[in-house]
Amino acid sequence: MIEIAGLTKSFGPNQVLRGVNLTVQAGDSMVVIGGSGSGKSVLIKHIIGLLRPDAGMVLIDGTDISTLKDKELYEIRRKFGMLFQGAALFDSMSVWENVGFALLRSGMREREAKVVAIEKLRLVGLKDVEDKMPSELSGGMRKRVGLARAIAHNPEILLYDEPTTGLDPILADSINELIIRMREKMKVTSVAITHDMHSAYRIADRIAMLFEGRIVQEGTPDEIKNTSNDLVKQFITGSAQGPIKVEGISF
Amino acid sequence: MYNFLLALGQTLIRFTKITGEIVLLMWAVLREFLLPPYEIKNTFKQAMEIGIKSVPVALVTAVFTGMVLALQTVTGFKRFGAESLVGSVVALSMTREMGPVLTGLVVAGRAGAAMAAELGTMRVTEQIDALETLAVKPVKYLVTPRFTSALFMMPALTILSDFVGILGGYAVAVWLFGMSSVLYWHRAWDNLELSDIYNGLIKAAFFGGAVAIVSCYKGFYTEGGAEGVGKATTGAVVISFMTILISDYFLTAWLFK
Ligand SMILES: Nc1ncnc2c1ncn2[C@@H]1O[C@H](COP(=O)(O)OP(=O)(O)OP(=O)(O)O)[C@@H](O)[C@H]1O
Ligand SMILES: [Mg+2]
Repeated sequence: MIEIAGLTKSFGPNQVLRGVNLTVQAGDSMVVIGGSGSGKSVLIKHIIGLLRPDAGMVLIDGTDISTLKDKELYEIRRKFGMLFQGAALFDSMSVWENVGFALLRSGMREREAKVVAIEKLRLVGLKDVEDKMPSELSGGMRKRVGLARAIAHNPEILLYDEPTTGLDPILADSINELIIRMREKMKVTSVAITHDMHSAYRIADRIAMLFEGRIVQEGTPDEIKNTSNDLVKQFITGSAQGPIKVEGISF
Repeated sequence: MYNFLLALGQTLIRFTKITGEIVLLMWAVLREFLLPPYEIKNTFKQAMEIGIKSVPVALVTAVFTGMVLALQTVTGFKRFGAESLVGSVVALSMTREMGPVLTGLVVAGRAGAAMAAELGTMRVTEQIDALETLAVKPVKYLVTPRFTSALFMMPALTILSDFVGILGGYAVAVWLFGMSSVLYWHRAWDNLELSDIYNGLIKAAFFGGAVAIVSCYKGFYTEGGAEGVGKATTGAVVISFMTILISDYFLTAWLFK
């Protein structure tokens, strides 16, 4: 279970998170939506302790990771898998070494790790790429390698930062299916960030919308679809007219 | 006046902050060096990068330095009839000074720049964050191997440079100026003490460690995309050069009494 309470974070004068409260039950799939630059990536990085909060708590199965010592933090991170928005593949390593990285680090032999890596690559719809270097792949392929790397060590908690951005609609849906399968078969708890409402409705048990550093609404996909909140309504229908103004663009 | 004091104050604060961060990084590197698991494979890979691949440049630098030292000594010392000292001048200069310093500069320009650029790119493309999410400590995985390799490879490169530099001097003195080969070696060996060599190597190890720490620090804390990587790389080379040249004076004063 993930519990976030009163989370605030600023970068210099830029107040990004201003008191986020959010709970994700074990085995649930939470989708966070919100405008570009609203702090979704910053939020997800707090869940795995890449960023430390200015104030507030992030509890993972009851442990506050924002105050943990390094050693315990690294211990707890083994529970996690994370897909970065930009994939963040290690460009000095081949594709399979990327996917098998955590396995190799935990002492698995190269031959076995490569077999597991190839199997995980299959899961994300990639084959015959294991010996390529990341620089030889397309953006969508890199994303999927990143996903394969995130699931390779069978984590209990998965964080996806925009898993379907940059993929064609058919591939995007197969990734949605993979995420659903991870939850159903492996019982993982997940937090996904997306702009893609179609994908959000497919994979979410619950959806939360981040706006101006706070969660403005949280609920089931049906509750979000039938929301009475104007902010959320504008976002999910993707309209330029409404309470959310796009700065700097005028007609 | 107010602006001047403000700028001065800010510079001092920045300098203190950077020094503090470097000391903290240094501390983390040493701790990770001692704690298992050891990054043996990684360290060998870095030793190749830093050491073996620097050999050609270091050798060319050393041989020409030895040659020019001999040339200057023969032509300059002729004025007071001391050109027979050329063997001593080359041997002492190379081992005590030129070997470690020039090799340090070569390693800073080659390996230091590469370290800053590589770690900087990894930082801005979130690869360092990715390491953390895979439960690997970035300092242990990235910085410690580079530091240890530089620490050990610098003296190794320097001893090669010392030797090749003395050979370069030999070539000029004996082949070009027709000096007796026996005299050159005699002068070189008789006035050279073991302490000249190992104190030079202590300098070299210090320079290696300093270049690695400074360059990794610059790369590790890179901000701001490709431009930031460029700045980090330039910064790493400039600070490494300054560190080598300034610390060289104090190390010399301390080691060679
Ligand atoms: N390491 C950092 N240092 C300084 N500012 C940062 C840092 N990371 C994020 N920010 C700032 O925090 C704000 C939110 O960034 P974030 O990446 O979380 O947005 P996002 O919601 O993920 O947007 P997008 O949908 O475009 O990915 C931005 O204004 C960004 O400039
Ligand atoms: Mg983002």
